[in-house]
Amino acid sequence: MGKLISTTLTRALLALLIIVALGPILWTVLGAFKELRDIVTPVPKLIFEPTLDNFATILRNPTIRDGLMHSVIVVSASVLIGAVLGIPAAHTLARHARRWGDDVQFFVLSLRFMPPVAIAIPFIVIYLDLGIYDTLFGLILVYLITTISTVIWLAVPAFERVPHDIEEAAAMEGCGPAEVFWRFSLPLAAPSLFGALVFTFVLVWNELLLALTLAAQNATLPVVAASITSLGKEVPWGVINAATVLLVLPPLVFIGLLMGLLNTMVRSGPK
Amino acid sequence: MAHIHCTDIVKSYGAHPVISGLNLDIPNHEFVVFLGPSGCGKSTMLRMIAGLEEVTGGRIEIGGTDVTDLPPGERGVAMVFQSYALYPHMSVADNITFGLRRQGVSKADIAPRLKQVAEVLGLENFLDRRPKNLSGGQQQRVAMARAMIKTPKVFLFDEPLSNLDAKLREKLRTEIRRMHLKLKTTTIFVTHDQLEAMTIADRIVLMRDGMIEQMGTPDEIFERPASRFVADFIGTPAMNFITAQLEPGLIAHSGSIRLQLSEVEFPSLKPGQEVELGLRPARMDLCEPGSANALTGEVVLVENMGAEGQVITEVDGAEISFVTQGFRDLSIGDTVHFTIRPEHIHVFDPKTGRSLRKD
Ligand SMILES: Nc1ncnc2c1ncn2[C@@H]1O[C@H](COP(=O)(O)OP(=O)(O)O)[C@@H](O)[C@H]1O
Ligand SMILES: [Mg+2]
Repeated sequence: MGKLISTTLTRALLALLIIVALGPILWTVLGAFKELRDIVTPVPKLIFEPTLDNFATILRNPTIRDGLMHSVIVVSASVLIGAVLGIPAAHTLARHARRWGDDVQFFVLSLRFMPPVAIAIPFIVIYLDLGIYDTLFGLILVYLITTISTVIWLAVPAFERVPHDIEEAAAMEGCGPAEVFWRFSLPLAAPSLFGALVFTFVLVWNELLLALTLAAQNATLPVVAASITSLGKEVPWGVINAATVLLVLPPLVFIGLLMGLLNTMVRSGPK
Repeated sequence: MAHIHCTDIVKSYGAHPVISGLNLDIPNHEFVVFLGPSGCGKSTMLRMIAGLEEVTGGRIEIGGTDVTDLPPGERGVAMVFQSYALYPHMSVADNITFGLRRQGVSKADIAPRLKQVAEVLGLENFLDRRPKNLSGGQQQRVAMARAMIKTPKVFLFDEPLSNLDAKLREKLRTEIRRMHLKLKTTTIFVTHDQLEAMTIADRIVLMRDGMIEQMGTPDEIFERPASRFVADFIGTPAMNFITAQLEPGLIAHSGSIRLQLSEVEFPSLKPGQEVELGLRPARMDLCEPGSANALTGEVVLVENMGAEGQVITEVDGAEISFVTQGFRDLSIGDTVHFTIRPEHIHVFDPKTGRSLRKD
């Protein structure tokens, strides 16, 4: 009997926590499908006629559409280049220069100690001089600092978990270093590397400050979304909600994938 | 045809020397075991022969070809690792055939070879599984199959059995030995387990601190150890050591102990010389009081080993152990007499530790 009460209490507490955690997100998602008059009612409405107008507004709005476009280009380019350069570098660090590996890891961490403004201001000056201020190329370049270093930071341990013996066994069968990397190290480290890429993606997708300072015409989605909120009194709540949903969707999808992957990894256990 | 020649091999990591000037000749078809305590450089030596580690100096020749500067894949050697090092993302069959497929051997040629090694190693029913769904012993067999299918000139094993339980270790040891009798491929097998070495080797290379301490057949190593180190390392229970003074007539004297030594084996010994005697517990047995070469001690402990028992005794305040089948009649505190034949007594120089036996 006592046990029943305690499980019921635990369940209730968990449910409460979930509501608290998911409430705002749910409200935002609901708001994205409401018309303005359904949002600004004194009594919150749960039953309403859903509309896609807000999304249509966003996708028809050239600023937001461009922002989305810019975000996709900048983020995918910087993550892709970061992966292409960072993953082989991480493998080399993990295998042949372990003592530098630690230094690189600390360097990357130290980048995260630094307030972004500290990079932003010198970068404005440099970019103006180089003539790449307010270009997608400039944004990609500055994001590469984050993506390359984050990829290396997370991929070094991923490669260290690949047993050295397996690479040596492959070498004994005649595989050269490149073949060992492609056919063994990379596939064996792939699950962890995928996680590293997702994390890196989320990091730059959500980046606001550098995008805000280094671009004006070529703003990314977070910048655009931030600017909508400062439109003045006539706040287009529905549009804001829809923009938020749009902004949050890619990271959420990726993190969902990541969690699924982690779960299967945990279930299949260590080798 | 694959004899192995190692000439003046030197290996150091930074300033730290691991192998210092090692020379080694392994004839074709021989099963050689590198034996020695942990950290003496066995794996390093094996890995240099495999090509996984560069030599700091010296040359390595396999089957008449200088392979010192060749990558591992071109040396015609196959290696079995302690961790098995199976490819986790491939099935057992793919693991075994990877090397052949990589070389572009046709499917039609691979299939019968796979079937044959799988049969020899009892893996027919596991070919579709992933390595992680196999037991340790099965994984080890896959690793051996992967090495065998390439019909290499040389097999290298680095402590392949040390992750297995005692029973399985014994079984696989016999299988490896049997396979060598059939295939006759030149083999180097690394282990720190002296019993494993004794049972499996044609020849043992006993290493210490990056040098060869002694090289010989298991019998030579056991019966004629070249140094105190070898004598101490080989044999369970471990050898007893006693410091003694030589008296005329080649009698070694220490406290209550007086032992006749063999004049044939140790012609160079002089009276008055100080020596270190080595007495193997397994070479001693109970005797009547007053017998030749008898030692008298008080039983401290009796260890039952099944058919035999190790009796630890105290003689002149030092412990000396011997092995006997009659251990069941002994109890702690008894006075026992036991003896050793002169030809079984080892004599070492107490300073250098080298054996004083004639060559
Ligand atoms: N990569 C390495 N870097 C530095 N020292 C090493 C390395 N590999 C082995 N050693 C050293 O070389 C010595 C011999 O090692 P190893 O050949 O593995 O010994 P064994 O196999 O006989 O136990 C040890 O002292 C070990 O610390
Ligand atoms: Mg070793």
